[in-house]
Amino acid sequence: MLLSVEEIVKNYDGVRALNRISLQVRKGTVKGLMGPNGAGKSTLFHLISGMEKPDSGRICFKEKEISGLPTHEISQRGVGRTFQTLQVFGNMTVVENVLTGMHMRIKGGLLSSGLWFPWIRTSEEVAMKEAKEILEQLGLFGRWKWFASQLSYGEQKQLEIARALAAKPDLLLLDEPVAGLTYPEAKQLAVNLSRLRETGLTLFLIEHHMGMVMEIADEVAVLNNGELLAEGPPDVVKKDPGVIEAYMLKK
Amino acid sequence: MVEQFQKEFRKRDLFYSIALWFLSLIIPDPQLHYRKEYGFRKRDLFYLMTILWLPLIWSDPHFHHLMVLAGIHGILALGLTLFLGYAGQISLGHAAFFGIGSYTTAILTTRYGVPSFFALWASALTASLVAFLIGRPILKLKGYFLALATLGFGEIFLVMVRESSSLTGGVIGIFDIPFFSFAGFIFDTFLKQYYLIWGVLVGLVLFSKNLIRSKMGRAFLAVASSEDGASAVGIDVARIKLGVFIIGAAFAGSAGSLFASVMSTANPETFSLNLSVLIVMMVILGGMGNLYGPIAGAIFLTFLIDGLSRYQEYSLPVYGLILILLLIFFPDGIGTRLRVRLIYLISYLGRKRRREKVEL
Repeated sequence: MLLSVEEIVKNYDGVRALNRISLQVRKGTVKGLMGPNGAGKSTLFHLISGMEKPDSGRICFKEKEISGLPTHEISQRGVGRTFQTLQVFGNMTVVENVLTGMHMRIKGGLLSSGLWFPWIRTSEEVAMKEAKEILEQLGLFGRWKWFASQLSYGEQKQLEIARALAAKPDLLLLDEPVAGLTYPEAKQLAVNLSRLRETGLTLFLIEHHMGMVMEIADEVAVLNNGELLAEGPPDVVKKDPGVIEAYMLKK
Repeated sequence: MVEQFQKEFRKRDLFYSIALWFLSLIIPDPQLHYRKEYGFRKRDLFYLMTILWLPLIWSDPHFHHLMVLAGIHGILALGLTLFLGYAGQISLGHAAFFGIGSYTTAILTTRYGVPSFFALWASALTASLVAFLIGRPILKLKGYFLALATLGFGEIFLVMVRESSSLTGGVIGIFDIPFFSFAGFIFDTFLKQYYLIWGVLVGLVLFSKNLIRSKMGRAFLAVASSEDGASAVGIDVARIKLGVFIIGAAFAGSAGSLFASVMSTANPETFSLNLSVLIVMMVILGGMGNLYGPIAGAIFLTFLIDGLSRYQEYSLPVYGLILILLLIFFPDGIGTRLRVRLIYLISYLGRKRRREKVEL
């Protein structure tokens, strides 16, 4: 089990955002997390990545407890993520964004970077090469000199994924990767995601788009009002009466 | 006649492109420095040559003295621009580190007879140590609160210096600090001091340039842009902020040390809130997020202050007025805005020319 969430509870000023949620993500699989707006999907992601602390319960990654650790430490242990509201670094170029993703893998401290020791130079050069490869994989190579703020919304979303991939995560949390994309962009993204899956990366994604989740995910969990409605293979979950009710009522 | 017209325009075009090329050497580029062309470039060589030849061409001692002051301000502004322009954090107490550097050098050289070269290193070290100690709690704050906390730190330091007169000489300060000397060479004229200060500044600029193009520079920019995004890729935001704060403090500490050994005095008047505001103004004036802008701002403001020295009692209102005007008309620095305007102008003229051609 790569990630296991156990009996997690999160309250916001009396509103119970997540109520005793337990779920697991197996290594090498793609898990989808669905649910109507306000179901607590993003909250769950914030808890896993350490941006918020759970009120009770525990989260284990690679059999070690990570709940309560600061975000950057969780990230260093191999949990990458993207955001629902874009968090690309608009003040840097595209390739620098990806290089920032490699922060932990590039050598150098404040002094050694400032004095530009030879090993810093080689480390930077190797990283640059790798960053360009990642951009090429995601189809952003043509824009590598651009400032991230100059990219379109869809490209920025791709860039966020590229940045997360640059950190070489074992688990990638994708918060609504398709939302707001045009149809060709979404199609391109689906191709990229399935390619990533072939490399053995474990994906955990929030998605509203039923068709995409059913196509790409091995397993699906459905949240509603902070409760776990159903969990299992997509075909089974699709027929679950609770899920149908929750989705039909909202739409 | 039409041909004549077109020829004239071509000539003008040539003139514009030459002018633009020349200006691109002088005006710092807001973006290019963190594009792919890092390292030592033509523009840097141009600056270096100017620094080397300027005092020899213009051999007025008063000018040399002002350039010494401008260089010291430049070191201060360079340290702050890493903190303010790159990492996006505000500090209104930067002058305190300048003071710490000044007094460390003053006390070490006059009381203990430490050579000023070692006092310089000790000053930078002391300033960064203080930054390390106060940085952890202070840097958890953001925006206005950070500004207020650093302001408070600066004022507290000032009061401490004034009150502990047995160590610092109180309001009067410390006199007769020996001139900076290295390996028997004493920097006792303005011209020698000019080369000392600007030599240090060139070294610090190279250090900052390297820092900016390394993973640390990217981490600074990431912290300024999105702290959530930065921590999601494994950057320890608190540590990066502390690191850049310490580097800024070390720069300011060495500036203070050089100031003490150049002026031979250290007194609390020289690093009040006035100086802190002045440094912030230099950074804003020169443009956030580039390294040469703040130095240009430092030179400009140092000369402006000298020009207005007769009206010294009005200095704070004047600073305030300049700052407000700057923020209204040049929110991202004079250099940056000028360049953008210039590019607009060129493209406008180009478009106009093309339109006229079609009409003809």
